[in-house]
Amino acid sequence: MAAYICTRFCINKFKDSVRFIPRRYRVKSKWAQTRPKFPSTTIALQNFDATYSIQLGNLWPSVRVAMLSEQKYGALINNFSSTASVITSELQAEGCIDFIGSHQHSKDSMPLHKDSAEVDVSKLATQEPTISPDIKCLVFPQGDISRFKPSRQDSSGLLGYYLLDAASVLPVLALDLQLGHAVLDLCAAPGGKTLALLQTHTVSFLLANDSSGSRTARLCKTLQSYMPRENLEENKIQISSFDGCKLGQIEEKRFDRVLVDVPCTTDRHSVMVEDNNMFNRSRTKERQRLPLLQIQLLMAGIHAARPGGDIVYSTCSLSQLQNECVVQQAICQAQEMGISVQVQDLGWLTRCFSNTFYFAPQLSVGELVLPHLCANFGPIYMCKLRRSN
Amino acid sequence: MDASRGHMSFCSTRQDHHQSSHTSQVPERPGAQLNIRSLLEMGFSETQADEMHEGALKSRGKHIPSILTVLLLLGLNPASILKIMQKCPEMYSLKGAEIQQRIDNLRKLGLVEGSLQRVISHYPKVMVLPIKRVNMVSRLLKEKCHVTVQQVTDILRDSPEVLEEDLARLEYKFQYAYFRMGVRQAEMVKAKMFRLTLSMLRCRHCFLERRGLYQTPDKKGQTLILNPLLKDFICVSEETYLTQVAMATAEEFHVFCKLIEREQEEEFSNEEQELDDDDDDDDDYDEKHWKTGYKRDKK
Ligand SMILES: C[S@@+](CC[C@H](N)C(=O)[O-])C[C@H]1O[C@@H](n2cnc3c(N)ncnc32)[C@H](O)[C@@H]1O
Repeated sequence: MAAYICTRFCINKFKDSVRFIPRRYRVKSKWAQTRPKFPSTTIALQNFDATYSIQLGNLWPSVRVAMLSEQKYGALINNFSSTASVITSELQAEGCIDFIGSHQHSKDSMPLHKDSAEVDVSKLATQEPTISPDIKCLVFPQGDISRFKPSRQDSSGLLGYYLLDAASVLPVLALDLQLGHAVLDLCAAPGGKTLALLQTHTVSFLLANDSSGSRTARLCKTLQSYMPRENLEENKIQISSFDGCKLGQIEEKRFDRVLVDVPCTTDRHSVMVEDNNMFNRSRTKERQRLPLLQIQLLMAGIHAARPGGDIVYSTCSLSQLQNECVVQQAICQAQEMGISVQVQDLGWLTRCFSNTFYFAPQLSVGELVLPHLCANFGPIYMCKLRRSN
Repeated sequence: MDASRGHMSFCSTRQDHHQSSHTSQVPERPGAQLNIRSLLEMGFSETQADEMHEGALKSRGKHIPSILTVLLLLGLNPASILKIMQKCPEMYSLKGAEIQQRIDNLRKLGLVEGSLQRVISHYPKVMVLPIKRVNMVSRLLKEKCHVTVQQVTDILRDSPEVLEEDLARLEYKFQYAYFRMGVRQAEMVKAKMFRLTLSMLRCRHCFLERRGLYQTPDKKGQTLILNPLLKDFICVSEETYLTQVAMATAEEFHVFCKLIEREQEEEFSNEEQELDDDDDDDDDYDEKHWKTGYKRDKK
């Protein structure tokens, strides 16, 4: 096997070993000069080892190995595309499952952790939010490491599906969108969750915002590749590029639903990819300020929600400081301003999807999808709040 | 049926063949001609003799008597000889003298009585491999893997499978353990590491590493955590490995092995491409490769 040609790894530490690779140019190569002594990914991992081993205890090794291995994706079916149903059956033929549509008849498949198997039936009966049948997200089953092919265009140029971390559909499902809702997506780019919430066909008006100009441009492109032009008219969808922290005042009490999908340490990215890494030395300040920014963004989301409206806060980090602590801080701050918000139980959601995702046990507020090799999605944290006045 | 077989000349087909083709092959001494009766005399039971006979017929062995003599002289009993021949029917087509030379060579490589017999019984293929091959592997171990003479003996005794391994792959496996895992030769030998395939070694090691249970020692040989001993996670069953060392489920480990396999394939094909693309290299090359293998940026 050519791959094992040992000359690629010749030993140069032993004096009498031969170097097989002819070195035509003995100059230092490019990567050697740019390769940092302490890669950001290493710093990130050390940081996580220190904090998450305490926070997650004996679950941490499992989460760690999952985050350091290839993640799984879900194919969010674009039901605006004429090929949606064909593509769905094609993917199903390949073994994919629509984890959202199939959760009702999945009682026979194994839940990923034991305690979730015992469902409290009495709780189930009480007015649980319904799960939108229009959001379809296909995944390969537990333990299957197959990959999706890139999405193709239909005859009118719309793409058939969008690949995302399947767990990132959960915050959208948690929103429990109803017909006629006005929705704010405060940090929307590149637009995975925006697309998911538009699949419900319930939104009367959507404001998709992201402070980064280049990323809002990407968001626009995404929407254009997935949505027919008539659905993108200004009275239905607006895209803006404000600092989300300021949108609270501008858009006070305007929205039925607000999604606050904040910038965070993007844990999986941080341990895997050197590029654009939050743990780069030059970004230490920015990283340390994240929880503050997150609180401000969530506060803005709360302000923008109308009384009775719901806010879903989400991150793709495991960090308590960026998850539960932010939520609790925001609740306190809101209270001080005379706004009362209550945490909404998301147990119904975790019960529905415990076959697909590995949920962290017992958080003080919200729910957290833990990466696990058999279901390598997440991390995704979400917490739902209701503004009552 | 039994009776007729008993009287049939054991090597009759060969003799016919010899007469007709006039090959220049030197025939064995006539005294060494073997039939069922001589097998019985050598101490084989009737059923054993029958089975041996059948095997010889099937594989058209020409020098069975001399082979058996050598093996008996080695001190192996008929039952184990039969087992050896059944495990490795290629043995039938060898010559006694060849086998003797190979045995002598293994002695020269340090295998002492007891070990020698055990290796041959456990891994009869060692008799089929040419001396040249065996010596090549032992030389590679000494010269490329800087293993001592005694350690070569130990490796041959505990993991004779290495003799068959592709040389480049064997060297790679050593380098993986040495550079990537930071393990010294003595520990490799003690853990019977050479027995394991490279991919299994990599799976078990990387799984621990990504779980945070194993670190490559730095230049001074230091780690922040206490690494488990190689023998404690290589030389044990998968179940022991999972429950005692990795503390993980079999499902996780199996998915992980699939992922690692794919990662590896893709890494190699990427590298080959890179090799084609640009040919610049650097002294840090192997270090870079080992240390950042899986943390390679995904573009
Ligand atoms: C986790 S990403 C959002 C992902 C997106 N919701 C999706 O599902 O595709 C966080 C986003 O927040 C944006 N962001 C950062 N600071 C912001 C701010 N102050 N106001 C609004 N958006 C901000 C970043 O540009 C980034 O695109």
